[in-house]
Amino acid sequence: MRELLVVLNTRAQSFLKRAFELRWQSVLQNMASVLIFGGFAVAVFFVSRFATDYLLSQAHIGLFLFHRFLSMLLYVFFITVNLGNMIVSFSTLYKSQEVSFLMTLPISHAKIFLIKFVDNFFYSSSTLTLLGLAMLLGYGSYFDLPWYFYFFVMFFVMVPFMLIAGILAITSLMLLIKLGTRIGFRLLLSVMVAAYGLVVYLYFNATSPMKLVEDVMKLWPNVNDYLGYLDPPFVKVLPNHWVAEFLYWSIQGDYARALPYFSLLFLTMLGLIALAGLMARRFYYESWLAVADLKEGDAKPGVKKPAFSFGQGILKPQWDALLRRDIILFFREPSQWLHLLLMFLLLGMFLISLGTLRLTFDQPAMETVAFLIVYMFTGFLVTSIALRFVFPMVSLEGDTFWCVRTSPVHLKRLYWYKTMVAFTAVAFIGEVLTFSSVYLFRHDVLLAAVGGIATLFVSLALVGLNVGTGSYFAMYKEPNPIRVASSQGASLTFLGSIAYLTLVVAVLLVPLNQYFAGIDSIRQSSVQWAVTPIAIIGVLSIVVFTLSTSVGLRAIRRDA
Amino acid sequence: MPLIEIQNVTKKFGSFTAVDNLNLKVEPGEFFGFLGPNGAGKTTTIKMMTGLYLPTAGHCFINGYDVHRTPLEAKRSFGYVPDQPFLYEKLTGREFLHFVGGLFGMKYEDVKTKVEAVTDLFEIGSFMDKRAEEYSQGMRQRVVLTAALLHDPKVLVIDEPIVGLDPRSARLVKDTLKQKTKEGMAVFMSTHLLEIVEELCDRIAIVKAGKIIYEDVPGSRIGQLEELFLELTK
Repeated sequence: MRELLVVLNTRAQSFLKRAFELRWQSVLQNMASVLIFGGFAVAVFFVSRFATDYLLSQAHIGLFLFHRFLSMLLYVFFITVNLGNMIVSFSTLYKSQEVSFLMTLPISHAKIFLIKFVDNFFYSSSTLTLLGLAMLLGYGSYFDLPWYFYFFVMFFVMVPFMLIAGILAITSLMLLIKLGTRIGFRLLLSVMVAAYGLVVYLYFNATSPMKLVEDVMKLWPNVNDYLGYLDPPFVKVLPNHWVAEFLYWSIQGDYARALPYFSLLFLTMLGLIALAGLMARRFYYESWLAVADLKEGDAKPGVKKPAFSFGQGILKPQWDALLRRDIILFFREPSQWLHLLLMFLLLGMFLISLGTLRLTFDQPAMETVAFLIVYMFTGFLVTSIALRFVFPMVSLEGDTFWCVRTSPVHLKRLYWYKTMVAFTAVAFIGEVLTFSSVYLFRHDVLLAAVGGIATLFVSLALVGLNVGTGSYFAMYKEPNPIRVASSQGASLTFLGSIAYLTLVVAVLLVPLNQYFAGIDSIRQSSVQWAVTPIAIIGVLSIVVFTLSTSVGLRAIRRDA
Repeated sequence: MPLIEIQNVTKKFGSFTAVDNLNLKVEPGEFFGFLGPNGAGKTTTIKMMTGLYLPTAGHCFINGYDVHRTPLEAKRSFGYVPDQPFLYEKLTGREFLHFVGGLFGMKYEDVKTKVEAVTDLFEIGSFMDKRAEEYSQGMRQRVVLTAALLHDPKVLVIDEPIVGLDPRSARLVKDTLKQKTKEGMAVFMSTHLLEIVEELCDRIAIVKAGKIIYEDVPGSRIGQLEELFLELTK
């Protein structure tokens, strides 16, 4: 126990020293973090408050249906925490140098596991915790709940809920690594990606939100009654259902019916902690060794002639060298191409789901909202891709940056090279998504053109923002791009991107509504309605791009 | 004209002065040893010479070019071997050399010819097509040294060149460096190994707390360098 406390104490001190460092740059960074995170939390609070108010007071969907929607949202939240923990834990528990060091000390493997699990959980879940708390406050404020309710729900309901997701991720990872040594990691990863997709698909297929809405609405006006018989049986074993049920009964003051769900959640968490401890004792070291062997095994393909390498190119030698290096490194790093594959899978799922939805409405307002939700989601996907792959680009120069910095390559040129490569890729993905989604929404050339131009500007701004902040918050000592993309700087960039996207959507709102409300002749003969919003988006994007680029260019020239 | 000239260079990190008004010159064909205890400012000086740090005051010239005002010309003139030979783990040694060649604007065919030539010189052929993640410290150092010499620089800046090398590799490196100075290259070497300095260097400087405290020809005090170093740096 003593050694565990020593390690945790050292880590806490290191964290506090970093957090309260009295250098103007870090003070400024911390203040900016507080402002942006605070602003984000406030925005989420208002959205949550507004959504609760709208669904219950305006749309009158009733408490039961509302909490079923909440359950679905919590399911997505659960999967996100689970997936985040699984991805990050692979580097924190298996690939970190700290673990290699701790393994040489007389500390039990289970304790190392515990230390790194805590590290991993905070690292991959802190932003989501903030999001959860802000949503909870928004929800609670509608029901005028007392302060201790938030405290209780946050620490005794939401934390156990997220811990369950985290522990399941980490224990599954241990078992999967064991399994991977037998069936091969490539096959295992493919199965895992398919399994996650299947789990999400099956859940929404079985819970069938549309059918649920129809079933509940048939019972109008008794929509506040408890209609648990409409739930498919399997959802009753899911933690998101327990949280939703707990909230449903608690806000009505029926604590006797809320208590079993709380107990179930808490006991499951305790059981899983105990199980994780036992499994760590049995499997952690073994799986850690398996990953170490895997790292050695990775090197074997080096003796084969690679499919793509350096050769005669049509570009200038410097551009050619940088481009070839980046392509080779990307495709030789499984965490890079696998993540990209996963993202493409998500994009595919998004487009398929879009194709199955009925998105035409009689009211222009509804049509505008539907279009903007689709567009916002497209923007969100582009944001995620930019954050995951563009933000770490400068950091990935890593320890080997000395090699580029001492060669006759102008750092400005390197920066523009990264921006151009990123912009080409992000804009291409963005345009494919925009044109596909607009086509699925309605066959409207003008709408597709407006969406396409807006996406071009959005891609420019997002790439500028991610390369710029990625350079400002560069982590040259961190070899893992996933950790770079989930760092504090990345979280700030994500929030900044979301704020920017919200502004873009706000700019499009009124003109689009007028467009959908307009008569056919206006639609066909005039593009005037689109000029002003596109111009505003263009100016906004160029401002974001220019500011971010100037920050990034200054940062990349810092002492290395 | 000296190939390396450091003029009144100072580097401060906050209130801490790592290098304090340093001046030195290295002529063509000269092997210069830069000595000092840990934390004396050796690596900081090298990082300023190679453009990795910006001096707080003063200038560094390589081949007559100011490293910070005309960085591209200066960088074309030198090769650099860092104390930690970090490589791209997923690239093979051959790919790394082609990458570096590309950064120096060399055409693919020219790099290829050059790589073939140096492969034998540094006996790196056996592992050139394996990824760097498989390399030992010595292998890495030999690949990095090869990369530094690829574009035929006039100046070689080298930080701790022998650490991690087996005796045979160390001999190879020492012979190559000596040969290069005979061909007119200026070598600026930072090291802790005094016997290497005595064997290779034409001139040395000992630095302490960011200042040069001794500058001489090592041969003038043969066998007494260790004593002198310990005396000066205590």
